[in-house]
Amino acid sequence: MHIPDGYLSPATCGIFYVVMVPIWTMASKIAQKTLKARQVPLLAIGAAFSFVIMMFNVPIPGGSTGHAVGGVLIAILLGPWAACIAITVALVVQALLFGDGGITAIGANCFNMAFVLPFVGYYTYRLISGSSSSTSNRRVIAAAIAAYLGINCAALAAGIEFGIQPSLFHTANGQALYCPYSLNIAVPAMLGEHLLIFGWIEVIVTALVVKYFQKQDSILQKGEEL
Amino acid sequence: MLCEEYALRKGFLQSLDSRIKTITILLFVLTAVSLQRTSSIGFLYLLCLILAVSSKVPIVFFLIRTWVFIPLFSLCITIPALFSIVTPGEPVSSFFILGAKVIITRQGLDGAILFVTRITTSVSFVILLSLTTRHTELLKVLRGLGIPKIFVLTVSMCYRYLYLFAEMVENIFMAIKSRIGLVVQYKRGQQIVAWNIVNMWNRAYQLNNDVYNAMLSRGYTGEPRLLSKFQTGFLDWVCLLASVILCTTIFYIENKL
Repeated sequence: MHIPDGYLSPATCGIFYVVMVPIWTMASKIAQKTLKARQVPLLAIGAAFSFVIMMFNVPIPGGSTGHAVGGVLIAILLGPWAACIAITVALVVQALLFGDGGITAIGANCFNMAFVLPFVGYYTYRLISGSSSSTSNRRVIAAAIAAYLGINCAALAAGIEFGIQPSLFHTANGQALYCPYSLNIAVPAMLGEHLLIFGWIEVIVTALVVKYFQKQDSILQKGEEL
Repeated sequence: MLCEEYALRKGFLQSLDSRIKTITILLFVLTAVSLQRTSSIGFLYLLCLILAVSSKVPIVFFLIRTWVFIPLFSLCITIPALFSIVTPGEPVSSFFILGAKVIITRQGLDGAILFVTRITTSVSFVILLSLTTRHTELLKVLRGLGIPKIFVLTVSMCYRYLYLFAEMVENIFMAIKSRIGLVVQYKRGQQIVAWNIVNMWNRAYQLNNDVYNAMLSRGYTGEPRLLSKFQTGFLDWVCLLASVILCTTIFYIENKL
């Protein structure tokens, strides 16, 4: 889902930076206000955790493997605003140091993966889990649905961002200047692979991790989210 | 992946101030994504290769490092855009696949070449920046660009833990391999991955307390302070000015053609 430089027009990238600035500012203010001094390193550790979680290859039926993003999991563990900061940091490190995801597309990538994904996932989780006990199965199901919904909403957002490029940015003779696929191709392509493959990897990882957390005396039971 | 071998060499880009270098590279990336002619972007790509050579980055290594994955992946995904079914236009070539006539269009071909050239150039510049700059300096540049302290602090701390966590993951995989081998039934494999993520989180959470105590012992009072030892010289400003003139000239020539 990482968008490299050159897939989106500079105007689109600029718009997403403009959209993300108030979100980052708000996340930074909320984190500074609510963050206990002891939890400051937790943000960095959360970001590194989010980065490293992508290194775990999950076996999927048929002998293949895929990796999870873990955005919803981080949101459940740290809260949506802290997850926004942690995932943004992970994406910035990936873009700047490893060339994974473009620098010009950081705004768009953060909108999809550090805003849409954790917020949709977190509030879905809260809505479904309600006031159930921290060890109930309802929370595992809530986490699974939240993960599936979160990653697919992020994929839909990415698909729309790709899909609007050919109609907005093309030459006089119809040649696409950026992503060449229109909405009717980009959205099904992005959504299809996430609905069928990557969404399920996210579900498996998030649900199993939440289930294992329930078995332990962990942060999830202490309710120490930000 | 995390090696800084090339950043420590005495080359052209390594001699520049990290802030100026980052701004210069960003300028080139922005120019590459804004240009609309393959030839103009190709010129920038050539410049990137010259910068790589002058910065003592082996060219074969650089080409492998930049072409693997993103440009190759982009090349693959542009293939359907070559054909008239996706990009209608003036036919260039046609052939039959399973009895169906497939037409490659001029617009599709030009669009695909432009797309791949632009991505390759942008990715190459970014990788050149990360190869020729010490990662800790690159992260400190963020503060110079006005990014809030909480983000910069988190980024620089996160970077340090990446090494530790990457090593942890490597050890976990090695331990799994040595105990159960490579072949594992997929459901069991999923459980192992989930359990190890939980284990890693718990270790990370414990580490949080140690790190906080270490911060306190070094005088942390709740207000992060960042060290900055950047110093610009004459060469830095000349380089920045030359980049601005070059990018403006490319835009001017492209608009004239």
